[in-house]
Amino acid sequence: MLAAQGKLGYHVELDYQAASGLSERERALDDTVLSELLESTHREVDCQVCYNLMLDPVTTYCGHTLCRKCLARVLDHTHHCPVCRRGMAIPPLQQTRSNVTLVKLLNGLCPDAVAARAEAVFEEEREGTGDLDVPLFVCTLGFPNQLTFLRIFEPRYRLMIRRALEGNGEFGMLMYNRYLEPQGDLGPVHFYHYGIMLRILHTQTLADGTNLVESRGMYRFRVKAHGVRDGYGVGNVERFDDVPLAEEERIEAEETSLPAAGEGDMTGQINRMPTCALVALGQDFVTRMQARSANWLQQRVLDVHGQPPDDAALFPYWFASVLPISEEEKYKLMGTTTVRERLKVTASWIRRIESQRW
Amino acid sequence: MTAPLPKRIIKETERLQSEPVPGISAQPHDDNARYFDVMVEGPGGSCYEDGEFKLELFLPDDYPMCPPRIRFLTRIYHPNIDRLGRICLDVLKNNWSPALQIRTILLSIQALLGAPNPEDPLNEAVAKQWKENQPEAIRTAREWTRLYAKKG
Ligand SMILES: [Zn+2]
Ligand SMILES: [Zn+2]
Repeated sequence: MLAAQGKLGYHVELDYQAASGLSERERALDDTVLSELLESTHREVDCQVCYNLMLDPVTTYCGHTLCRKCLARVLDHTHHCPVCRRGMAIPPLQQTRSNVTLVKLLNGLCPDAVAARAEAVFEEEREGTGDLDVPLFVCTLGFPNQLTFLRIFEPRYRLMIRRALEGNGEFGMLMYNRYLEPQGDLGPVHFYHYGIMLRILHTQTLADGTNLVESRGMYRFRVKAHGVRDGYGVGNVERFDDVPLAEEERIEAEETSLPAAGEGDMTGQINRMPTCALVALGQDFVTRMQARSANWLQQRVLDVHGQPPDDAALFPYWFASVLPISEEEKYKLMGTTTVRERLKVTASWIRRIESQRW
Repeated sequence: MTAPLPKRIIKETERLQSEPVPGISAQPHDDNARYFDVMVEGPGGSCYEDGEFKLELFLPDDYPMCPPRIRFLTRIYHPNIDRLGRICLDVLKNNWSPALQIRTILLSIQALLGAPNPEDPLNEAVAKQWKENQPEAIRTAREWTRLYAKKG
């Protein structure tokens, strides 16, 4: 390829520099020559993967040049050069410099086109798919404040993680909806519509390309609309938070003043407990289980999920992260709007475990 | 809701219309620009000569990182094409490269019609016939072409 070898470069740069200080007519002629030249070099300066003007071009060991981002995507799938198929042809991209000759050539030849292309890519990466601006990873359940560890090996999700890292470092995770239970306005979709926003804390790429991602849950959200981008899910999401404290207190007062529940009515009894009693119930249970060296409270579990948090709002999320019960059951926490409601869910788990109904 | 069409797909579609390949056409659907109605003419001199074969082609979300999905809709008697119209062609599988395109894939398929390869069969029965009694296999291929792939 001429441009990559620099042969085309010198020739064109000379033409371009000579253009300054010429008459109107000569300049017009020059423009014509330039546009024809651009047209004829089109195949040389267009990336063979995205068919656009090359942006931040990188040259492979075998001498083929593509946009850096395009090469990164190719690397997600293979170590073969897309142009000549030679193996191990693509250099590790983080340390590899751009093709300086080509960058200079393009900047000199058509600075407007280069700027427009950079702008377009920036917009594309940021905007994603219009309203559907949050990457969505359908995988497993995650909770606010809790750590989630993921092994990402599919190329489309490696692209998703890379884009998240270039953006705000966050992506949404949703639980897989195996039985296609209807999800509100979305109907029977392949995920549950309440999800967790994860912030990427650390990533590590293994030799086989697998990406280990350590992330922390930030907040819950609900999916309002969803679509697909380059093979992975994207969506428009709405942050989902608890009601204000005053409302929470009003609900507590109302429920605790109900007439006493019957002796066998476990749900009714839990429903009438003051919030502080629900908190104590959870903490006592954990203390008792630790004393009995329960499997699910072993040190290696605590190393990952931490000690039970003092914050009552977060306790149920921690509890769900360590307790070995079904994901569908844990998912009940995701749609809760009060701390009290979450504590009632965890209290019902504790009562069922104690009565050996599980 | 889906993402806007990548520039690459727009350009490929434009070029397929503006510089068509003789004997091949690919028309995107109005309501889905990733879905194409394809027509491939049997190569001259082959047992598929004078046949017009319809195929469907779909560009997956991660195209061009992944190959187009393509299959014959017209019935065809060929050792590398099975009864569901699926095609055994290396560039549609492991040998796919994002530097290939719809045009090159369709040309490869046309070339496959000109050079059946019974050593790498997808349709065992047809491949067996091709190896044991080639004149008969070619006669059947011609007969099917006349029956199912008639022009017009
Ligand atoms: Zn590119
Ligand atoms: Zn190469």
